[in-house]
Amino acid sequence: MNRHTKIAIFVAPILILLGYVLSDMYMEHEASKIKIVELVPFGHCDVKNQKCILKSGEFEINVMDDKGITTVNSTYPLDTATLFTVDKSNQATPYQLGMKDSPYYWKRETALGTLIENKGDSAKLRIIIEIKGGKYFAEFYTQTTN
Amino acid sequence: MEDKQSYWQENLRLIFICLAIWFVVSFGFGLLLVEPLNEIRLGGYKLGFWFAQQGSIYTFVGLIFWYGKKMNDLDKKYNVEDA
Repeated sequence: MNRHTKIAIFVAPILILLGYVLSDMYMEHEASKIKIVELVPFGHCDVKNQKCILKSGEFEINVMDDKGITTVNSTYPLDTATLFTVDKSNQATPYQLGMKDSPYYWKRETALGTLIENKGDSAKLRIIIEIKGGKYFAEFYTQTTN
Repeated sequence: MEDKQSYWQENLRLIFICLAIWFVVSFGFGLLLVEPLNEIRLGGYKLGFWFAQQGSIYTFVGLIFWYGKKMNDLDKKYNVEDA
């Protein structure tokens, strides 16, 4: 092994540590920016039958309703979750969901159950999720299939 | 004297090439371009993720030996090899 290779082997760990520190600073800077990202329904959305997935990259939320209790389950811990039901005149009624046992589950009693009670019923919904480093939103429709 | 300066200039050029590759692979591929690179899969792994986790380290190791070889060639060129 020649002297230049030996020097490079000694210098490389210093560069690796320097890179680690700089990338950590960069990531911290990026995380402090507020990002707004749209969530997109993954397939058909049926909240009544627990089949409503909204996603953006690795982040997914599942919106479900059981006997008037609407629950949001996510792949990452959430800071807040607000669901809106939207009527035909585009008036939105907000429901601030509360944490259920862990920041991965959020729920609240809503009027959604009555809107999508029967097969074929559909409703327009909006959701705003706050998570460390950004906000996620979606406007989507749920339709009861059975 | 001129030879020494020329040797040092070529040495610096190699160092800057190594630093540029180091920056592109670690920051460029592992952080700045991670999202578009993640669209490409390498052995089941997302390419941007792979560069951030392993690819940049492999490149660093490769750079060490590449730099060693190029400097050896430079030593021969300027007759300043190890005795």
